[in-house]
Amino acid sequence: MSDRRFGTLLLIPAAIFILGLAIFPVLQSIWLSFHQILLALPGLGKKFVGLENYGRILTDPAARDSIGFTFLFVFGTTLCELILGLAMALTLNRSFRGRGWVRAAILIPWAIPTVVASQMWRYILNDQYGLVNLFLFGSDTASYQAWLAHPWGARLAVMAADIWKTSSFAALLLLAGLQTIPNELYEAARIDGASPWAQFRRITLPLLKPAILVTLLFRTMDAFRVFDLVFVMTQGGPASSTHVLQFYGYQRMFTEGDMGYGSAVSVVVFLTIFIVSLFYIRAMGTRLFERAKV
Amino acid sequence: MISSLRMAGIFILLTTLALAGCSTESPKEEKTTLRFVGWSFNNPEAWEAIFNAFEEAHPDIRLVREITPHSSTQFHALLSQKLRNQDSSMDVFLMDVIWPSEFAAAGWALPLDNFFSDEERQKFLDVPILANTYQDKIYGVPLFIDSGLLYYRKDLLEKYGFSPPGTWEELVQQAESIRDGEQSAHPGLHGYSGQFKQYEGLICDMLEFVHSNEGSFLDSEGGRALIDSPQAVEAVQFVRDQIIGGLAPRGVLTYQEPESLALFSQGNAVFHRNWPYAWAIVNDPERSQVVEKVGVAKLPHFPGGRSVSTLGGWQLAVSRFSKQPEVAWKFVSFVTSPTMQKVLALQAGRAPTRKALYEDPEVLAANPHFRDLFDIFLTAHPRPRTPLYPQVTNTLQAYFSAALSDPESDIPALSQRVREDLDRILAPSQGERSD
Repeated sequence: MSDRRFGTLLLIPAAIFILGLAIFPVLQSIWLSFHQILLALPGLGKKFVGLENYGRILTDPAARDSIGFTFLFVFGTTLCELILGLAMALTLNRSFRGRGWVRAAILIPWAIPTVVASQMWRYILNDQYGLVNLFLFGSDTASYQAWLAHPWGARLAVMAADIWKTSSFAALLLLAGLQTIPNELYEAARIDGASPWAQFRRITLPLLKPAILVTLLFRTMDAFRVFDLVFVMTQGGPASSTHVLQFYGYQRMFTEGDMGYGSAVSVVVFLTIFIVSLFYIRAMGTRLFERAKV
Repeated sequence: MISSLRMAGIFILLTTLALAGCSTESPKEEKTTLRFVGWSFNNPEAWEAIFNAFEEAHPDIRLVREITPHSSTQFHALLSQKLRNQDSSMDVFLMDVIWPSEFAAAGWALPLDNFFSDEERQKFLDVPILANTYQDKIYGVPLFIDSGLLYYRKDLLEKYGFSPPGTWEELVQQAESIRDGEQSAHPGLHGYSGQFKQYEGLICDMLEFVHSNEGSFLDSEGGRALIDSPQAVEAVQFVRDQIIGGLAPRGVLTYQEPESLALFSQGNAVFHRNWPYAWAIVNDPERSQVVEKVGVAKLPHFPGGRSVSTLGGWQLAVSRFSKQPEVAWKFVSFVTSPTMQKVLALQAGRAPTRKALYEDPEVLAANPHFRDLFDIFLTAHPRPRTPLYPQVTNTLQAYFSAALSDPESDIPALSQRVREDLDRILAPSQGERSD
């Protein structure tokens, strides 16, 4: 047996693994999404309905609202996480006493399981004994607010919880990027009399671009798939205001047994993430290429 | 070359070994294993007592329990996953009162007519038996029954010279005067506490409001929605303006049973809507500030309507995919027996489904309201009975939550849209209808 053949042989298990766990489910979801299948009414069978399920996503106001909030969530959280993460990374990149401790402390939110963190935020925002109310109003219990009872309050709360939790992840990625920038560049800039702002704009940002793109890619993909935060904090309420696309699809598929429509929703999520990733990877590829040329 | 050949040999050997390992038979057990899937009570001792008694009575059966989430919706998601996959490792499961139609139509629950005789069924309350029946077959044995009750602060009502309210309007007046009167002594006192989060409990609370105004969610056939009738719209408007916007803290829009009960048991609400289990908790000195200060009454109604309580409760059902229905039935009949239902009534405050237990002196001593409010259990009102209930409830939950959480919501317009949605959802079940 040649080495090449042996190599192929060794790859087979991994290929089967990926085929079974990633590609097959995606193909099956796509197939299901062209059918009407109601688990509670097996008598209806598996009726082929073409693109009807996709049409439903476009016409159902509840689906449209959850698409709207999903995009708001992705855009809002990714942007805030990038800015906060950059601030944290820049701080951590300086040397000061106790830096090791601060680095560890900043990672704590990211290390807490999302379900635990979501539950914690529910308590913090509670209308009777929540910490937020205690800080804002002290013993004036009559002014305590039920933050999660207002549609916009709940939306912002879910987004804030996500930003709190994953900014440190963004910081970690950006910090790794910062550490690859050679110190000599800053020294040279200082000798030339560049202000710190100019140094940041002319040196840090351009050289950090690949790391920023990687961070954006990871955060965008993750934010599109947000589910557990909503599931624990609000269950989509009040007034369906915190329905994200994944939760909406989960409800159709798992609580209602509407397999076809639920699959169509997950295919839409899949395709959106796929397209966004392609876009990022393209951007990253050319940047890296340009750098290599220099 | 040789080394790669040898490695290929090792690879094949290892794979074979691994596969062989999988098929090694485990030593045979003498006991039959029975698998039960369900949630655990607030007071797990009650369950423990029942399971221990079962294993003592059936030394040949080993009981394996899988504890599930308590939330009906999440439990449903888990169960339907198992049943869809035809999982034969589950024999018996707990079933919410709203599931039998769906589980029967989907072919997930085993019809129990061969085990559960007509004569035996006569001993149970009619309403839960009806709820477990789908197209003339029975799919579950009721374990305990739930029914919406009005808990009130006996001490406060007496102090202000009120008797429990008959109409919702009276409830509002009483709560307002008590709240105003106690303003200086107890500024955090609210008038009402109930369940208004966007979840299944919202449907239970709203059914009581809508039906006590002679409204309805669906017609009696379950084929058409009536949610935009003037009576239904009026009831929803009342809840938005008088309950959410008046008596209750706005936080009730995020409350399920435990949070709403905490508000009441900490002494911060005059009226509270909950199931029978709350009685044991409000009278438990370790968990409540209002021990012996609470009364229980029928829920109020609107002028011209009558009091309506939503039917809740849990049943035991046998999976269609169980390989040992006879063993499963042994467990079902044991757990739903008079003795075990009595354990549940005494230790967990759960209302029995067997009529005879409502004359049992011990049960009545622990739960005096079982006697006074017996007819609530006789007339509890079921939620719509259709295999498409999960779709119906999600649609209604979204509607009620939208109508209640915005003080300016256009309820007539919302209700009309949700009526059209419901009619569309129910359309496929019309073709299936054989009766």
